[in-house]
Amino acid sequence: MSAALPVPVIQLLQVLTVALGAPGLTGVIAKVEARLQGRRGPRVLQPYYDLAKLFRKEALAPEGASWFFLAAPLVAVTAYLTIPLLIPVLTTFGLPLGYMGDILGGGFLLSLASFVIATAALETGSPYAQLGSSRAKTFSAITEPVVLFVVFTVALLTGTDLPYALAATVRSSAGQIIRPAHLLAATALFMVILHETGRIPVETHTGTNEFGMIEEARSFEHSGPFLAMVKWGSELKQLILYTILADVFLAPWGLASTQKLGAVILAIAALLAKACAVGCVVAVIDNSFAKLRLFKITEYVSAAFLIAVLGVFTLYLGGG
Amino acid sequence: MDPTQAPGVYEGAANVIAAVMLLIEFGLLRQALVRDQVRLYMAQSALISVLAIVIAADRNLPDLYVLAALSAALKVVAVPLVMRRLLSRTDPGDGDEAPGVAGSQTLSPASAVLAGIVLAAIGFFCFGALKIHGPAAPALALALAAAMVLVAFGLMIVRRDVTSQAIGFFTLENAISLAALVVASGLPLILETAFLFDLLVAVVVFTLLIRVHHTRSESLSTADLTRLRG
Repeated sequence: MSAALPVPVIQLLQVLTVALGAPGLTGVIAKVEARLQGRRGPRVLQPYYDLAKLFRKEALAPEGASWFFLAAPLVAVTAYLTIPLLIPVLTTFGLPLGYMGDILGGGFLLSLASFVIATAALETGSPYAQLGSSRAKTFSAITEPVVLFVVFTVALLTGTDLPYALAATVRSSAGQIIRPAHLLAATALFMVILHETGRIPVETHTGTNEFGMIEEARSFEHSGPFLAMVKWGSELKQLILYTILADVFLAPWGLASTQKLGAVILAIAALLAKACAVGCVVAVIDNSFAKLRLFKITEYVSAAFLIAVLGVFTLYLGGG
Repeated sequence: MDPTQAPGVYEGAANVIAAVMLLIEFGLLRQALVRDQVRLYMAQSALISVLAIVIAADRNLPDLYVLAALSAALKVVAVPLVMRRLLSRTDPGDGDEAPGVAGSQTLSPASAVLAGIVLAAIGFFCFGALKIHGPAAPALALALAAAMVLVAFGLMIVRRDVTSQAIGFFTLENAISLAALVVASGLPLILETAFLFDLLVAVVVFTLLIRVHHTRSESLSTADLTRLRG
């Protein structure tokens, strides 16, 4: 168990862990949610079966849609699979490609992916897909300031804007965890993640009513392998965001600090366990709140904004 | 101070409690149901007792345990009880006024929160510029208390109903207790208790005011007070 893995292999493992773990996480959340509601729920492996089924099916595109409609899911999945290279997924030390982009770099990739999917939805001419993409863009424009303030907090706390640096700062002492700026930034980020992954109180994940949909409606016209990639993409996004929350903000422990095989395997298990723990919290929130009306979402976002701004304020006085 | 340096666990905990109290103050600004406002006030008051216990444990001030117990008995149990009884008496039940809803009628909740952020910023940076450093005072908690005072004033201004204004005033008192705790935690117990009983006076006055107002205008809103009467 003490064989040291070469660095490129670890880097590849980061991407593979996220790529293969993401559907499982969705399955776990669906299962927990069903158990909380007293239902038996789908199998944990159900999202894998769904993806496998969709990959075998025929792909159709609406009339008049250009090559962009078919390219968008590929671009989105590529962007999502690039992000695990930039954030601490398995290791405490930065891997060679880990410094090619900072937090903003990761943010750009996330925005790029959601932009191409939204544009592809516009291409179809389907009213519901267009409604969804226009709403998704509107609301992501108002959550952007929250993300920026969270990034400011990170930058002030560490003096850099590298995710690895914040994780190291949080690990360094208990005082770094129990400080308002850190806790407020983590809370604001969590609220943004609920919004970005389309969970209650912003959007129901399992609803079938098109008028309440935001993100879900964008994939209406995709089919076959392309629909599979859109679905897989949103599962990847969910696991990536949970990884950022758990490995950078809340619990950057259990990561491998050496290149030993045993440490890396332990880190993979720890990451999946932490993501499932975050998922359980999300499932509880999903079951205990009602979906907000569309025009009330601004209030939710303003609360997140308030928390993020307070985080920056507390730092300016020192001792935050 | 260099922001990359952590302030230590005790200061961090005190600051976090103060920050959560400020967030609850913002929650009051958003909350439309009077009963939930009372609940939020209870939570905020419970937090100040917790803060007193934290300071007592860290600074070895046994007096503060007594203060924490007294303050919890008064603010978490007694005052909310009085407010609830009052609300159930003034609740119209079948009237045309929606029971227990205390809208602002002047600002939407989102804009009220944005205005609150501006107020909090003013309080923050003014106190930050004063550079008060008590022996037990995390400077941040003091600035948070100042921000809370201003946001509580804001709450009393934007709300049009007497109960929200009363709760705004009570939370104002919470903010001042917070400031007193962090700046002068070594104050003699008798003085701290005297401050607490100030709150009782306010409760009595507000109770009377609410009841008189309700019997005169049959509503809890102050909107009809703006009319001139000959």
